[in-house]
Amino acid sequence: MNNSAIKVSQLVKTVKTQEGDLTILKGINLDVKRGQSVAILGPSGSGKSTLLGLLAALDTPSSGEIWLDGEPLSGLNEEQKAALRKQKVSFIFQSFMLVDTLSALENVMLPAELAGIKDARDKAKRMLERVGLGHRLAHYPKQLSGGEQQRVAIARAFICDPQVLFADEPTGNLDKHNADKVADMLFALNQESATTLILVTHDLHLAQRCERQLLMDDGQLFEQRADSSSQVIGER
Amino acid sequence: MEWTLAWRLFRRELKQGQLVLIILALTLAVLSVTGLARVSERLQVAINGQASKFIAADRIINSPVLLDGTILQQATKLGLKLSKNLQFNSMVYSGDEFQLVTVRAVDDAYPLKGHIELTSGVTDKLPLPGELWYESRLAALLGHPDTVELGNSRLKMGAALSRLPDAGFNIFASAPLVLMRLDDVPATGVIQPGSRVTYLYQFVGTPAQLQAFETFAKPLLTSSQRWVDVQSGDSPIASAVQRAERFLLLSSLLGIALACAAIGIAAQSYCQRHYDVVAMVKTFGASARQIRILFGMHLLLVTVAGVILGLLGGFLLDALIMLALPAEIAAYSAPVLRPLLLGVATGFISAFMFSAYPLLRLLNIPPLRVLQRQLEGVKLGMWLHLMLSLLAMGLLGWLYSRSLTLTLTVVASVVLLGLLLGVLGLLLIRMGQSIGMKTTNPLSLALAGLRRRARQNALQLVGFSSALVLLLIILALRQDLLEEWQKQLPDNAPNYFLVNIAPEEVSPMQTFLQQHAIDATDIYPVIRGRLSAINGEEVITSEQKEQGQRGRMGISRELNLTWRDTLPRHNRILQGHFNQAADEVSVESGVAERLGINLGDALSFVIDNQTVVVKVASIRAVQWETMQPNFFMIFTREAMAPFAYTSMASFHLNDNQKNVVLELIRQFPTVSIIDVGAIISQLKGIVSQVSLALTLVLVLVVMASALVMLAQTEAGMATRQRELAILRTFGASGGLLRWATSLEFAILGFVAGTLAVIVTEFSIWLLKTQVFELNVYAHWAWWLMAPSAGATLVATLGLWRCWQLLQKSCGELLKLE
Repeated sequence: MNNSAIKVSQLVKTVKTQEGDLTILKGINLDVKRGQSVAILGPSGSGKSTLLGLLAALDTPSSGEIWLDGEPLSGLNEEQKAALRKQKVSFIFQSFMLVDTLSALENVMLPAELAGIKDARDKAKRMLERVGLGHRLAHYPKQLSGGEQQRVAIARAFICDPQVLFADEPTGNLDKHNADKVADMLFALNQESATTLILVTHDLHLAQRCERQLLMDDGQLFEQRADSSSQVIGER
Repeated sequence: MEWTLAWRLFRRELKQGQLVLIILALTLAVLSVTGLARVSERLQVAINGQASKFIAADRIINSPVLLDGTILQQATKLGLKLSKNLQFNSMVYSGDEFQLVTVRAVDDAYPLKGHIELTSGVTDKLPLPGELWYESRLAALLGHPDTVELGNSRLKMGAALSRLPDAGFNIFASAPLVLMRLDDVPATGVIQPGSRVTYLYQFVGTPAQLQAFETFAKPLLTSSQRWVDVQSGDSPIASAVQRAERFLLLSSLLGIALACAAIGIAAQSYCQRHYDVVAMVKTFGASARQIRILFGMHLLLVTVAGVILGLLGGFLLDALIMLALPAEIAAYSAPVLRPLLLGVATGFISAFMFSAYPLLRLLNIPPLRVLQRQLEGVKLGMWLHLMLSLLAMGLLGWLYSRSLTLTLTVVASVVLLGLLLGVLGLLLIRMGQSIGMKTTNPLSLALAGLRRRARQNALQLVGFSSALVLLLIILALRQDLLEEWQKQLPDNAPNYFLVNIAPEEVSPMQTFLQQHAIDATDIYPVIRGRLSAINGEEVITSEQKEQGQRGRMGISRELNLTWRDTLPRHNRILQGHFNQAADEVSVESGVAERLGINLGDALSFVIDNQTVVVKVASIRAVQWETMQPNFFMIFTREAMAPFAYTSMASFHLNDNQKNVVLELIRQFPTVSIIDVGAIISQLKGIVSQVSLALTLVLVLVVMASALVMLAQTEAGMATRQRELAILRTFGASGGLLRWATSLEFAILGFVAGTLAVIVTEFSIWLLKTQVFELNVYAHWAWWLMAPSAGATLVATLGLWRCWQLLQKSCGELLKLE
């Protein structure tokens, strides 16, 4: 287990709807090794984002267990989960989720400041230079293109040296040129910092850049093989 | 670290205009409270200052014995200015002629306020030692002597008096008034132990000094000593001033309620805008404490900014208003500290209590919102929000007014408004279910929009309606108060009183008045008498009570009694019927209440050493402010037949009829003519100042209402933006959207106007019956005007904002979202 960044056992998520209970995740099992990059593919509504929320300790499962860096999430309260996220986890979102009123530099500094890192400003500057935005530190999100905004988000994601990075459709809002650029940067930084990457995407091309590809369908997770066949991960 | 973050977030949001709405709302709240408090305090000081000229001082202690030295020492210690006066009745002689006079003996400080008026004009001087100033009829009665004898002294007849500043209302004084120096009194030897005298101690000082003195002195006064201020109820100014003060207070309270509404709206949208930020920082692992500090600090900074701007605005407003005020009012300096503290308290209490609920929701936003944007976290009970809001409003209202009745009335109105809106909101929600978006015509688009956004619309209704309610209340009360005063002091209000008309002169006097086309009141007979027993139980005077005598309290002085066949004008029967049988009497309600007199009680009066027993047939309300002869007790002609009487009347003369007075004096030398024109013009002066104050307050409230409505429209527009963008994208014409938006807002405005009228009528009924004691009537024109005005105003605001949005391209609109 020590070598696992994320381990999931019999994970079930059921939500209440007007028509009754709806089971979104039906007994998922998963083991992601440290430093591994994993893509989760699947049609809309298949439960990809629900799984991402659970893995990142943003949501609570109906049953089953998740271990993040060897630590079981089930016993943690919201405060402890927040502390765990602060130490070990980072995020990239499809809609960038930058704070409109803060400059690029201040957006990148934000998680570092929350984590109490002293040289947050210098570190943020270096990160922005690393993603090629050293000349746009004082620009606000609205003054940046979509690709640039997502590069800011990447810089923000890596500033605290996370062990696991969750990316939800990171190129979903970008054109191909920008998407490729952002993806290049994401994978380069990921490799450099040996971060475990969990990437939810529709983009097969992007998914193929990951070491593993998992397919989410009807609440179940299948491992995509090189020969294009798939196998339910939950079956043993 | 969180502090740095909060400061940075604040600075950036401020720079980018995102805090405009909430800071504007806070500024408005603080501005209106500080500004109104400042203006109303200044006006109160000015009005009291003007009114205090009527009593020639700020406060008077009226005592039948020398006042306790410690009280006077305290007055000196507090820095109050003091004038000692003595008043008593005595005979003056000139040769064989003699006459009873009322002597007013004064020290050098007299009068502390106002001026002595001589027949030759206003003077700042006093009689010289050995001199006496006199009412002109005394000279006539004594045959115009050069000197008169008063006790052991011979005094020189100095100047002819027209009026003392504090003697204006003593019209029943049958004895002519004379003024002399207090130092001259001992030499006359007329004051002996046991003599009936009144010591008048007059005081002038700052409100703080007076307050401190009142706290000290009042408990030390005996029941025969009387504390008098401009509001003691003795002067006709008193009730005018009291109503004006209450009105100013109420307006300010409504200003606070209005400001609270603005902050409530702004706080809601302020918090909503931060939902994503909270979700994001939670995702990045911020602890609950970090988030609390971050947003608590952020709100604190916003509040401080609003408070500072509000205070500056409030004082600027005050300065501007002062420019518009007459110099004599602007000259009165009012305390600064209270408006300042009130402003600060208003800013903080309203910002934090109105934001408490949205802020709690904000702090409860789940981090999962970063993935599922529709999540808004735990919905806490709305009752919590309601309780906190009412508590904030009540607390501020009470802090401001220190009047529980007034505060509770305002809060009750707000609750009623809330209930009405809640019901209406629910109806809208019901209607709104399963109705989609129709784009066929503006009206159906507007109606569909209204139903779909039922919850938000109900909230917007609160904003629009409260703004209208407050505006209408102020408008109604201002109008009613002014009309009431106008009624009491019409242009032809009596400005002369005729007293001491002998029975044989009544008929010639009536003829004289008719000949000169003078509009006079009825002529009332006046008989002096003392109330001696109630239901056979002898009443005692306050002096007797002090000496340990037990018994029912009566009235210490002689009363002016009258008889009449019909109820006088300006009098209203509250209980019973007007005198029918010979032994019936009608009693004024105030004195009946004070002495515990009820219908059917037997009252004994001693008149000319004879006792008359009568039965109380009615309790009667009297308008004391009218310049009419008014009486506590009205008897029947039969009951009073055995007694000698004189008569009195009052009438109005225009400036060009003054020569009539001279002729009247010539024809009726023994009748006393009292000119109260000066008092009336002073009263009118006060009324016009109060009118000005009322207008100013109205303007402030209109401004505040407009801002609340603007803020509300702004908040409503934000939710419409996305829809506008989508409709625009799908090809809806600008005209259709403009029409639909205007119609939607117009319908909202119409409903808000209708609700506002309902709540206003209820609130006005409460206020008039509980606070202002005014007649209640419905404002039918408003039932048409308020909904139309609401619709027009709100539609215009909506259209204006919609116009701005439709200037943008679809892309820009979507990006704004």
